[in-house]
Amino acid sequence: MIQEKFVLKKENLHAFLEALSKDMEVFVPCHNENGATTFLPYNGQEIYTAAQTFYSPKQALNKPSEKEFFFGKKSSSVEVERVKQNGGKMIFGIRPCDTHAVKAFDKLYLEYGEVDPFYREKRDSTLLAALVCTEPCSNGFCHSMGTQEPTGHDLLMVEKADSFYIEAASSKGEELIKKHRGLLNITKFQKPELNFECKKKLDTRNLKEILDKGFFSKVWEEEGKRDLNCTSCTQVCPSCYCFLTLDKFILNTENSERFREWDSCHLQRFTKVAGNHIFRKSRESRLRQFVMHKLSYFQKNNDMMLCIGCGRCISVCPVGIDLTEIAAKIRSEFE
Amino acid sequence: MAKKMRAGFYSLSCCEGCELVVFDLEEKLLKALEFVEIVDARLFDGNHPNEKLDIAIVEGGVQSELDKKHLEEIRERSTYLVAFGACATIAGIPGIRNSLPKEMQAKLNSKAIIPVKEKVFPVPAVVKTDFVLQGCPAFTHELLDLLVALYHGKKPVLENIPVCKECKERENPCLLFEGIPCLGPVTYAGCKALCPTERAQCIGCRGFTEDANFEALRKRFRKMDVDERIIHNLFTYFNQNPFKKEGE
Ligand code: SF4
Ligand code: SF4
Ligand code: SF4
Ligand code: SF4
Repeated sequence: MIQEKFVLKKENLHAFLEALSKDMEVFVPCHNENGATTFLPYNGQEIYTAAQTFYSPKQALNKPSEKEFFFGKKSSSVEVERVKQNGGKMIFGIRPCDTHAVKAFDKLYLEYGEVDPFYREKRDSTLLAALVCTEPCSNGFCHSMGTQEPTGHDLLMVEKADSFYIEAASSKGEELIKKHRGLLNITKFQKPELNFECKKKLDTRNLKEILDKGFFSKVWEEEGKRDLNCTSCTQVCPSCYCFLTLDKFILNTENSERFREWDSCHLQRFTKVAGNHIFRKSRESRLRQFVMHKLSYFQKNNDMMLCIGCGRCISVCPVGIDLTEIAAKIRSEFE
Repeated sequence: MAKKMRAGFYSLSCCEGCELVVFDLEEKLLKALEFVEIVDARLFDGNHPNEKLDIAIVEGGVQSELDKKHLEEIRERSTYLVAFGACATIAGIPGIRNSLPKEMQAKLNSKAIIPVKEKVFPVPAVVKTDFVLQGCPAFTHELLDLLVALYHGKKPVLENIPVCKECKERENPCLLFEGIPCLGPVTYAGCKALCPTERAQCIGCRGFTEDANFEALRKRFRKMDVDERIIHNLFTYFNQNPFKKEGE
């Protein structure tokens, strides 16, 4: 580990991002052209660090629609050609909670069962430069979920008035600091203790058991009634990973391409099987699946909850459905 | 290559815009013509009425007895029938008259140049329809996908997904939080959230999803203090009034 501590002066921020962009695609928090905050590849735009971004950085890892491979007839055999996933990425300014969402992806795609080669390729070439939070965000509850400290990151940053404190957190991070040493200044600054409290809370004690007991609670029906099933929550959730596989023919050929597209448990088609049977037809059953997967089911197979407490699903829901409130109601009924 | 599919384009009561946008496919249209033969279509210079077809692509709604006969006759000689565009799939703009007060409807109908039916009917309400391709105008890439799939012996289905899903994939700010009533949560996706991406609310041109929660969305609009008349107009712009009670 490097002994010295560094800061990146804000006047050097763009030079630093430009230098990084020479080697990789750097996703930065910013406003998109429609005015929403999200992560986009750096192209000189203004960086947004005032608060958590409305959209999570997950599009940097999993795009809404991704080509996996091409397949086609070749005289007597079938030829399959993998589509190379774009390598060399950094998510700059990823919030601590969101790094835990990446960890959840890692658990699912790499550790639980078969390794997903597409994700492997993307993940191996992605660096995380985490920006710790010094103030609570509007709907987040990372302190309840234990996700306030970043995980699996390569660089750790703390924003100060005129600079970013930067520290290497992995050997790749160390290399980066060495490489761009010229743009950094030495500092005596010590990484501060994080001492804010989230406005929102979720009591996680025995939550899994309580929710499992509350499977038939009236709460689901009440909340389900007002659910639009618009999928906004799953779309913005940094840890929602479900996808659909589909093939598309290429015009005028015998060839096809296989795509992977984001799916959502809020949709009826999510559980549609042969014969057009739909397992989760009612709104409540779909809402329940969303909440249960986040706060109970995932934990059964992995040693973490899938919800990392970013609060985005709460901010984005047009009808104000809030999974922390649902969990609290069920707790009061079944504890 | 297998035999070319024989297709025809037909217009019932409508502006004929959907057929016209097919030309937007440009080179892709030329490529498609390698496996599709357009045997009967006014705009394609290929008028062969009464021929048997593999696929009939019908735009427009049924407003008159004439429309109805024409449609039934097309159905008769086609293997597949596609309702193409909002007028054909959900009665669309002409269908606004179905949601007007009764006296106004009567007045309007009496002024028609040819005798019209008391209501405007979408194609699936009149004949068996194999595929619906939504939108005003219809989305030609969807037509192309359908033709390609049929050519390969596949049957695509219209996915029951709301516009919001695609809107969020394009990372738009949500109009509902800016006090603008948007029909995205209850409207079939497939347009890649064209309107909200341009900061205009979705007005439902692709029809309502199968499991739309109209009541919850109307409540949301009311909470935003949207005028009742505007709410009614929005829900009945392209679609039939989802709040209409039996017998009304
Ligand atoms: S919980 Fe809210 S955001 Fe999620 S699908 Fe339902 S209405 Fe949409
Ligand atoms: S469920 Fe909601 S709070 Fe939890 S990680 Fe997903 S968006 Fe964030
Ligand atoms: S702007 Fe409209 S389509 Fe987009 S998310 Fe909001 S309600 Fe849905
Ligand atoms: S956003 Fe709505 S009105 Fe606009 S094209 Fe899509 S379905 Fe039609």
